[in-house]
Amino acid sequence: MNRGNRILLSCVYWAFVLYVFVPLLLMILMGFKDSKFIGFPIRSWTLDWYTGVFDDAAVPSAFVYSVVIAVLATMISVFVGTWIAVLLEGRKFLGRTAMFGLTVLPALVPGIISAIAFRIYARWLGIEPGMGAIVWAHAVHNVPFVALVVMARLSTLPKSQIEAARDLGADPIIAFLRITLPYLVPAILGASIFCLLLSFDDFVRSFFLGGYEPTLPVLIFAKLRSGMSPEINAIATIALVLTAAIGIWAERFTRRMSKDT
Amino acid sequence: MSDDVAPRTGRGPDTADRKRLTFWGTLSSWTPYRLVVGLATASPRRQFLILAAFPLLWVLTQHLGPMLQMLRVSFTDAYPVAPGVEQHFTLDNYARFFGDYIFWQPFFRTLTFAGVFTFCTLILTYPVAYFLARHVSRKNQMLMLLLLLIPFWVGEIVRTYAIMILLGNTGAVNQLLKWLSLIDRPIPFMYTSFSMGVGIVYLTALYMLLPLYSALEKLPRSYNEAAADLGASAWTRFRRITLPLTLEGISSGCTLVFLISTGFYATPVLLGGPSTTVFAETIAGFFHVAGDEWPTGAAFATIMFVAAIFLTGAFQKLMNSLRKGDTN
Repeated sequence: MNRGNRILLSCVYWAFVLYVFVPLLLMILMGFKDSKFIGFPIRSWTLDWYTGVFDDAAVPSAFVYSVVIAVLATMISVFVGTWIAVLLEGRKFLGRTAMFGLTVLPALVPGIISAIAFRIYARWLGIEPGMGAIVWAHAVHNVPFVALVVMARLSTLPKSQIEAARDLGADPIIAFLRITLPYLVPAILGASIFCLLLSFDDFVRSFFLGGYEPTLPVLIFAKLRSGMSPEINAIATIALVLTAAIGIWAERFTRRMSKDT
Repeated sequence: MSDDVAPRTGRGPDTADRKRLTFWGTLSSWTPYRLVVGLATASPRRQFLILAAFPLLWVLTQHLGPMLQMLRVSFTDAYPVAPGVEQHFTLDNYARFFGDYIFWQPFFRTLTFAGVFTFCTLILTYPVAYFLARHVSRKNQMLMLLLLLIPFWVGEIVRTYAIMILLGNTGAVNQLLKWLSLIDRPIPFMYTSFSMGVGIVYLTALYMLLPLYSALEKLPRSYNEAAADLGASAWTRFRRITLPLTLEGISSGCTLVFLISTGFYATPVLLGGPSTTVFAETIAGFFHVAGDEWPTGAAFATIMFVAAIFLTGAFQKLMNSLRKGDTN
């Protein structure tokens, strides 16, 4: 194809890379600034903001709180999402389209509306705002992502393997546990990591369903509303490095696993 | 169905394998287990019902339930109901929306902004997706896509904050312009629809990029080559082949980004100003005060959901008819 075109397009790509990376890099840099005032230029550098993060007990506790919520919500989403995927994939039945639509519904509802609906429903069920409510809302919200990822993997499972297992006398449950489930492991792991990150990063549902204890994004939001400070940069950088590292690791890991099997 | 596990033949399995075999063998010959499995799988119909019951119950109570409950509350005059107070059916919550300028102004602003930001995201990411799908070798495609994914694993709040630092009066952009002597005084980017747009495009770009990329990647290169052989110019090839055949990706990317953009709450709060109040902030306002405002909030959320679904539905219809029109 046209060479000039190609060079132009590659410039666009790298400009886009700059657009997505530069704001985050600047934010990271600002966390090392030796001044309370957010802004450029940065004249002197310090690590004090990072050491300060651990003096404020609110930050580590919000961090642990977010992680616990993410893990619990992910466990529920993975269980339910996988079950739904097994039902929907490769099966024809009356109402399958409706079932599929209902499955992906929570992923399509705009954030604020989903948060409001969960808040009202939690109240109706008698769930108090707090950890239980957040875990439940995150779990429901993440189910569609698990279901879609697992369905995609399930559609590539050779049917002959199940048939072979059944011919050798395995009942449907054992065939599922010994053939289908091991085959789904890469998809389930990938979906789990995705759910963990979604839940850990979620703001709007945690904000409307939370009690007095803030999750990490809610804490950062509260701090931001009372003014910008390099302390927030330090907290945000720690969260950023962790989520990005987990994301990259998971991407490589699941890719290698799906290649092997 | 045979009840026994078939004996393993052939060369002897290693010890670990034999152990596993024993476990599954024991399980499947254990009477209570066989009874349960026998009952559950007695007929394909019963097997299906057992498989379907839990997912059906889940999606009805957990996925549909919250939406229906929100709809129900939107027609009541008090929620949560205080003891001793009777709850009545009413349409007042909806009437309140249409009765006041301060409500439908942010509503239309939200829909307009979401539309404009969606369009900006499309224009911004289409060339990027095109480049990745058409000009990069398959091995590098994955790496270069992964590079773009990294920032998107970072949360909404952190990325919004990064935009605040970028666009502030002493932010990177203003300092750079000053250093280049293009301006004397900082340009007030923050707390405007511009800063909000930059933030929202930044947050949603990936949801546009991925559908576009997969649509472009599926498009056989031979189509373009054939058109080129027949003498079509680059622009004609793009307009007559690439664009029509990627309308599906455009349609799903735009739908996704539009729905996500209408739902942002924290980003407009942090990046927008008094003149850019979006409907999400209006809705949230009813939940910060005493409980009796909940029904109004529910009604407003319902209005917004219906409007967003209606608009994206109409948009998809339009794209579908465009697609059919072009292939005929």
